[in-house]
Amino acid sequence: MTPVTVVWRYLQGRFVTSVLTVVSVGLGVSLVIASVLLTRGIKEGFIAGATDYNLIVGAKGSPTQLVLNVVFRMDAPTPNIPFSAYEEIRHDPRVEAAVPVAMGDAYQGFRYVATTEAYFAPFSWRRHVPAVSTGRLFRSEPSGKPDYEAVLGVDVARRTGLKAADRFFEGEEMAAYPLTVVGVLRRTGTADDRAIFISLASYWEMNEISRQATVKPLTAVLVRPRRLSDLTALHRGWNVAPDLQAALPTAVLLNVFNLLGLVEDVLVVVLAVVAIVVGLYLFVTMYSATLERRREIATMRALGARRVTVLGIVLLESCAIASLGGLAGILGGHGLAYVGASLLAARGGPVTHALALGALQPLTLGAAIALGTLAGLLPAVLAYRTEVAENLAAL
Amino acid sequence: MTLALLVALSGLPMRGPARGDEVPRLTFAQLGDSMRANLGVTQSIMAYNGREIEIQGFIIPAGPPDLSFFLLSRVSGTGNYCCELPSGQDETVYVYTARGVSLRYDPIRVYRIRGVFEAGHHVDRSHGVSFFRVRDARVEEAVGARIFKQ
Repeated sequence: MTPVTVVWRYLQGRFVTSVLTVVSVGLGVSLVIASVLLTRGIKEGFIAGATDYNLIVGAKGSPTQLVLNVVFRMDAPTPNIPFSAYEEIRHDPRVEAAVPVAMGDAYQGFRYVATTEAYFAPFSWRRHVPAVSTGRLFRSEPSGKPDYEAVLGVDVARRTGLKAADRFFEGEEMAAYPLTVVGVLRRTGTADDRAIFISLASYWEMNEISRQATVKPLTAVLVRPRRLSDLTALHRGWNVAPDLQAALPTAVLLNVFNLLGLVEDVLVVVLAVVAIVVGLYLFVTMYSATLERRREIATMRALGARRVTVLGIVLLESCAIASLGGLAGILGGHGLAYVGASLLAARGGPVTHALALGALQPLTLGAAIALGTLAGLLPAVLAYRTEVAENLAAL
Repeated sequence: MTLALLVALSGLPMRGPARGDEVPRLTFAQLGDSMRANLGVTQSIMAYNGREIEIQGFIIPAGPPDLSFFLLSRVSGTGNYCCELPSGQDETVYVYTARGVSLRYDPIRVYRIRGVFEAGHHVDRSHGVSFFRVRDARVEEAVGARIFKQ
């Protein structure tokens, strides 16, 4: 009988205990895998959904709120700025492109984004250009007559079932201003997939306060400078203005990543504790199994098995449990990460399914096997030191 | 830190920063002095073209959040009421990182950039006009460094 056969028989002999130990190792490993994949997925989601515009100009307040709301459609909109601010920005000779944006309410949880056709302009520096897959864009200009036309992000069309020529509104007060779907956008992998785009003229007419206002409101202006070297001067210039702020969207996201890094550090401590608990459980299992098997070990020794062979069998069993748990944990961790990412995405969170194979999987499996070896070391030494005469004496 | 390391190892190939005295260190003062009115730069600065150099400055995140591209400036651009206003191409280096970088961004910290230097008027489809570029760059925090114009 080879050591592998002995280990297999041992695992079968304590089937329930072995399975429970494999499951506990698997849970620990899946927690590590899922945490790493989800953290990476959230970061990649933010990176994929980031805007190509270098500055966002809005009302004084939190730059994080401004960027999260305008780019990722999270958080509440910052206070309004006047449309004249957009006109001034647009006519600044240092500005290549300026796009006005007004964040509205929502239809079935999907936010209205009022803007102009400039939002969809295919500049060479844009990574994601929202283009229609069916239908067309809305037509009205900010100063023109409202058309009440809507262009839907692909997720909005899929989840609401709306299609071209459909009319919709939400709430009694909006019944007088039904919107007509004129187009659906291609998937962009950004928050635009979950937005309903309308013209500024329609937006202003749909809102009672702005209908009466002589100064039309905006939430923000997306800005691209002609020369990136003018970025800091533009940033400073608008920030020292009494009623405006300019935010660098990438700087805001990097600050969010820094905060995410602190969460990662806390998570590392939690995962380290989990690893210790799993290691201890594995150790206790192997230790009690070795104590139970002292007589069998003594018999094996009496039949000619060497001490090293006995030591190897216990270590092999511990490694086998850790390996099986590690593999199960890697599979389970990917499943957990997938479910977590799907839930986050369904809530509108920027997250990608970061399931690509890399160094993570072999590293984690290696760590699990090393932990298994460590946990089995003391029981293996105990088996190594088992005295034949002492343990067979009762027979 | 371990989790960050796992994340980095699993998805982001990293190159450790290297140090050595043999790499010439350029300053923003040299870059500013090299600018000429006809969109040109001096031969002395052109001599560094294609060579590995080191330069220190503040990061202005003008590209995607993976920091595959950013601007390096002599002045931190985020303070509103102090410091000089960074202006113009002579105080801006366009940095293209090796394969993305892994660092904790801080707008008021000085970073050391090392990579292949390019000088001269250049128009990039994604990033527009530039005069000074560092490609294949590695980035690390320049602890204790201070930036002066002269």
